[in-house]
Amino acid sequence: MKVLIKIFKVLIKFFTSIRLAIILLIILAVASVLGTLIPQQRSLEEYAARYGQLSGPLIRLQLTRLYHSIWYLAILGLLALNIIVCTLTRLSPKWRKAVRPHVQAEAKSLLALKIKDRFKKNAPLAAVQAELEKSLASSRYRLRTSEKDSRVHLLARKKILGIFGSDFVHLGLLIILAGGIVSGAASVRKELALKEGEIQSVPKASFEVRLDKFTTEYYPDGSVKAWKSAVTVIENQKPVLTKTIVVNRPLTYRGYSFYQTSYGWNWDNPSLEIWSKKKNDPAFLKKLKLKIGEKAQLDDKDQTSISVARFIPDFVLGEGNKPQTRSLQPNNPAAFVEGSRGGEKVFSGWIFVNFPDMDRIHATKETDLSFELKSFEAGQYSVLEAAKDPGANLIWIGCALAMIGLGLAFYWPTWEIKAVLEESQGKTEVIVGGIAAKSRDSFQSEFEKILASARRSK
Amino acid sequence: MNESTLFAITFILYIISAFFYLGFLFSKKSGWDKTGSAMAIAGLILHTAALIVRTIESGHAPFTNMYESLSFLSWASVLAFVIIDKKFKIPKIGPYIMLIVIGLVALASSPLMPKETAPLVPALQSYWLWLHVSVTLFGEAFFAVAFVTSIMYLSAKEVDKKDKWDSVSYRCVAVGFPVFTLGGLVFGMVWAYKAWGTYWSWDPKEVWSLITWFVFALYLHTRIVMGWKGKRSAVIAIIGFLAALFTYFGVNYLLAGLHSYA
Repeated sequence: MKVLIKIFKVLIKFFTSIRLAIILLIILAVASVLGTLIPQQRSLEEYAARYGQLSGPLIRLQLTRLYHSIWYLAILGLLALNIIVCTLTRLSPKWRKAVRPHVQAEAKSLLALKIKDRFKKNAPLAAVQAELEKSLASSRYRLRTSEKDSRVHLLARKKILGIFGSDFVHLGLLIILAGGIVSGAASVRKELALKEGEIQSVPKASFEVRLDKFTTEYYPDGSVKAWKSAVTVIENQKPVLTKTIVVNRPLTYRGYSFYQTSYGWNWDNPSLEIWSKKKNDPAFLKKLKLKIGEKAQLDDKDQTSISVARFIPDFVLGEGNKPQTRSLQPNNPAAFVEGSRGGEKVFSGWIFVNFPDMDRIHATKETDLSFELKSFEAGQYSVLEAAKDPGANLIWIGCALAMIGLGLAFYWPTWEIKAVLEESQGKTEVIVGGIAAKSRDSFQSEFEKILASARRSK
Repeated sequence: MNESTLFAITFILYIISAFFYLGFLFSKKSGWDKTGSAMAIAGLILHTAALIVRTIESGHAPFTNMYESLSFLSWASVLAFVIIDKKFKIPKIGPYIMLIVIGLVALASSPLMPKETAPLVPALQSYWLWLHVSVTLFGEAFFAVAFVTSIMYLSAKEVDKKDKWDSVSYRCVAVGFPVFTLGGLVFGMVWAYKAWGTYWSWDPKEVWSLITWFVFALYLHTRIVMGWKGKRSAVIAIIGFLAALFTYFGVNYLLAGLHSYA
C-alpha cells in the first residue's frame, strides 16, 4: 500500500512538473513535423499508391489525419492540464508576494545578493530613511516599511505586474485551446455555389442569400484583379442588406460571414459568336450568335444553314482521339459546328477561340466557307463560403492575453530593492540589496544611481 | 535611381562591409570593424531606398514574391544586427551576419527569382499583408542573430566571452519570440480568418511556424524555469532558427499548401 501511494505521489509530481511540459513540447514538435511530411486527409487510393503496404498502419495510427487524431489531441489536452496545474501552483506564492510581501529582510541575506550596497552616515535614522525613500520614490518605486528591534526594514518595488507575465501567456493559451474546441464542436461552414439571381438558404440560419451579380476584374496584363459578388441578404422574404463581397472583405450578418472562395462557369447553355467567311469572296462576312442546337441561315443563295452541336470549354483529345474537356475553365474553348443544305449534311468540325486559323472542318460536299469561333458568353457562378465560428472570439481574447503576457514577461521587469537601516551612536548604517530577474544591467545602473543620490544628501 | 540599381549598390556595400568585418576578425584592428559597420549602415540606407522605390513602383507591399521577401528579410537582418550591435557592441558577429545577408541577397539576385513587379492577386489585397509579413520577418531576423551568437557561443573558448554570447542570444530570442508570435501566429490567424473564414487550417506553413514556436517555447522554459544555459540553450536556439528558415523557405519549395504565393 505504501509503495502504491509513493508511486501515485511520484506520478502526480511528474504530471505537475515542468519536465512534462518540456517532453510534451518536444513530442508535439516532432509529431507536427511528421504531419507535414505525410500528406494529410487524402483518399485511400492515394495513400495506397504512395505508401503501398505501409498505408494500412499509417491510417490505423491516424497519421493521415494527424492533427485531428485522438493521440495528438490527447497530448494537447495533457499539455493544457499541465499548464493549468503548473500555473496554479506557481500563482499563489506569486500572488502572496505581490499583495502581502515579506518586508523584513535579514541584513545577511541582502549582503549575499549580487547587487548590493552598504554605507554609514552621520545622521539620525529618520533623516537617512527619508532621503532613501525620496530617492526610491523619484524612480517610481512603491514602498513598504516595517520596524522591528529598532531596525527599519524597507521594501521598494516597481512593475510588479511583470511577475504575472507568464500567467497571462498561459491563460491566453488555454483560452485559445478552448476556442479551438468550441470551433471544432460548433462551427458551421458550407460552400454555396450561386448562379446570378439564385437564392440559397444558409445552414442553420433564418435567412437566405441571393447572388445579384458576379464579376471578374482584370489587370491590364490579363491577370485577375478581383472577384466581386454582389449579394443580398433576404430575411422573411424581404431584402435586408446588400453588399459586394471580395476576397479579404467578407460580408458578416447575424454571426455568419460569407467569403469569396471560388468561382466557376455554368456551361449548360453558352452563347457563341461565330464568324463565317468565304475563301472566294473576301467581302463576305457573316457574324452569328448561336446557342447549342440553334440553327441559322448562312447564305441566301445556296441555302446553307449552320448549327452548333457541342461546346467544350477546355478542349483536349482524350482516349481514342475523342474530344473531351480537361477542366471547367475556358482554357481552350471549342465548338463543333455542322452545316447542312436542304436537309443534307455538307460539313462538320471543331473550331477554336484560341486558334482562329485552325479548323478541323470536314466537308462532304464542295464548300468555300470557313468559320471562326470569336467569343463565348456563359453564365458564371460564384462560390461563397458561409461560416459561423463561435470559437473565433475566444481565439482573439486568448491571443490578446498571450501578447500582453509576453510584453509583461519580457519588457516589464519587476525590480525589487530591500534595505535594512539601523542607528547606533548617532550614526545610521544602511544595507541595501537589489533583485531583478530580468534586465539586470539596467537595474544595476538604476540601483547605483538611487544609492548615489541617497549617500550624497547631507 | 531605379530599384535594381539601388539594390545592386546595396549588394556591393554589403560585400565591402563583410570584407572589412572579416579583416577585423583576422587582424583585430579596431578601425576595420568601424568601417564594416559604416558600410553595413550605408547599405541599409540604400536598401531602404530600394524597398521604398519598389513599393511606389508596384503599388503594394515589397514582399509578395520570393525575390521581394528575400530582399526584405535581408534588410530586416541587417537592421536587427545594427540594433543588437549598437546595444551590446559585438562587431565579431558582423562577418557571419553579413555573409548570411550576402547569401540572401545573392539568392534574391539570382536568375531563379523573377524580379518583375506583378499586380497583387486578390488573396493578398489586404493591409494584413503589411502587418503579417513584415512583423514575422522581423522576428525571424532576430532569430537569425540569435543563431549566429549561439554558434559564437559554441565556438568560443574563454568563459566570460561564452557568457556574453549566451546572454546576447537570450536577448535576441527575447525580442524575436514575442515579435514572431505577434506577426507570424496572431496576425496570421487574424488574416486567415478575414480571408478564408478560418483562423487555422493546419496548412504546412502554419504548422511549421507552430513548430518554430514550440522550439523557442522550449528554449524559454528550459532556460527560465529549469535554469538551462550555455551549450544546451545554444543548440535549441540553432534548431529554432533552422525551423524558422524551413518555415520561410522549405515549405514553399518542398511542401504544397495554401501559402502558395510566397
